[in-house]
Amino acid sequence: MGKVFSISGVVVVLLALVPLLTARTDVMTWLTFTLLYVTLSQSWNIIGGYTGQQNLGHAAFFGIGALAARYLWLSGMPLPLALLAGSLAAATFAIIIGFPAFRLKGIYFVIGTLVLAEILRIIFDTVLPRASVLPSRLLNTYSLTPRYYLNLVIAVLAVGSVYWISRSKFGLGLMSIRENEDAAEASGVNTQKQKLLAFLVSTFMSGLAGGTYAYYASAAQPGYLFSAVWTFDAVIIVFVGGVGTIWGPVIGSVFFVLLQQLLSLYLPGGTHVLVFGILFILVVLFLPGGLIGLWKKIRGLESKKRERSH
Amino acid sequence: MILEVKNLLKSFGGLVAIKDLDFTVSGGEIIGLIGPNGSGKTTLFNLISGFLKPDSGGIRFNGNDITGLKPHRICRNGIARTFQLTKPFGGLTALQNVMVGRMYGVERVGSVRQAEEECEKILEFAGLGGRGLLLASSFSIVDRKRLEIARALATKPKLLLLDEMMSGLPHTEMEEALQLVRAIGHSGITLIVVEHVMKAILDVSNRLIVLNHGEKIAEGKPQEVVRNEKVIEAYLGE
Repeated sequence: MGKVFSISGVVVVLLALVPLLTARTDVMTWLTFTLLYVTLSQSWNIIGGYTGQQNLGHAAFFGIGALAARYLWLSGMPLPLALLAGSLAAATFAIIIGFPAFRLKGIYFVIGTLVLAEILRIIFDTVLPRASVLPSRLLNTYSLTPRYYLNLVIAVLAVGSVYWISRSKFGLGLMSIRENEDAAEASGVNTQKQKLLAFLVSTFMSGLAGGTYAYYASAAQPGYLFSAVWTFDAVIIVFVGGVGTIWGPVIGSVFFVLLQQLLSLYLPGGTHVLVFGILFILVVLFLPGGLIGLWKKIRGLESKKRERSH
Repeated sequence: MILEVKNLLKSFGGLVAIKDLDFTVSGGEIIGLIGPNGSGKTTLFNLISGFLKPDSGGIRFNGNDITGLKPHRICRNGIARTFQLTKPFGGLTALQNVMVGRMYGVERVGSVRQAEEECEKILEFAGLGGRGLLLASSFSIVDRKRLEIARALATKPKLLLLDEMMSGLPHTEMEEALQLVRAIGHSGITLIVVEHVMKAILDVSNRLIVLNHGEKIAEGKPQEVVRNEKVIEAYLGE
């Protein structure tokens, strides 16, 4: 584990140096998005990966966080406070819908949460049909660098949080719910409370990701902030990388953004969604551990080979 | 008296699964709960452990009314159970399975490291020593049953409900399982054991309670109860 720590430390330091080494907007944008996706997918990983509750309404919390943070920030609130307020707004909404939502089990929970996010998207498309554009005083001084650093800091915090959860009593309770809810209850786990707590942490983090996007975007259509794309990008990243693991969403995010860029070079716009859909199905069917699982399998085979040659 | 069940009634639609059931259990007893298929044994376990709510009647444990509490509350009161069809946390290691009980049960441990150390001992007690780092899903049925017991013991119960831990075990394994049940009894935990294997239950229990169609038809010392006419009738038909 010490090795993983030093590697990730080096990676973070290198990432912190990137803005000093390059001024290329395209590279900076990709990296910013990769970091945004790390936060977003880790937030889904907590509820979907560790707790086993396939929340397909994740975009609702991203949207609430983004919208609240953006309006507060643009009306003069300091950015850190606006981000915090956005995250709290997302978590508050999670409390309100959490109680009824967790009465639903299995596929009903999945459908219920999906519908919820779509309702919000339609509402905000109707109520706020015009895009929110940054005022010219901000547009004139717009720089990617602070956006990049903000996303870097928050992504590191997100990975750190999931690392802590995965080794804590709290995380053990969440995983027991994922594995067997009845057995978890019989072992003393208050499953309803734990699911709600996981939901709060997950939606808070999702709202934070939304806030960083709101700070990044020079123009944002309110309805788009609630688009199911945010949910499904996160879900695909988590599953392709390795569901319920610490590093899966990180590797998944890198892979996702790289592939998205490659595909957008060679395929007509929007077609990459089709490719990701097929990729997702293939991973779920044939590679349930995702890229992390594949890597472990290969390493396992190698060490077996080594044993045999000894 | 550790457990007191009074006028317990539970029906599913028109079917009465438990009918006006009364019985008490004293601390330190090993109760054998027997009866033909469908006589209500597992339903009774589900009622005591909170997975089902009774239509009427009450359950008192250690002097507290626990009727209708949620399963995790009942577990934290000191009643643990195993499941007839084992329910391991398949994607977790055996050690993690047991740690859930230790960290969320009666005397909850907050430190992961302390829980790990204690749970390795519990695994060893249950006959799974040295296998803590294997995934529970890789375990055979026999070992899953042992794991189920280890997880239940880790919650530090005063009363343990064992649901058919021995059915389907080969002879040698059965001897070991019986020894484990006796060892649990010796450690001061009160037991209610549901079992189909008659030899096993006669061997291990101090007292038998016999259910038929949700009613108690006999109760007493094992050797006497098995000679009871009503009991023979219930098992063999008229």
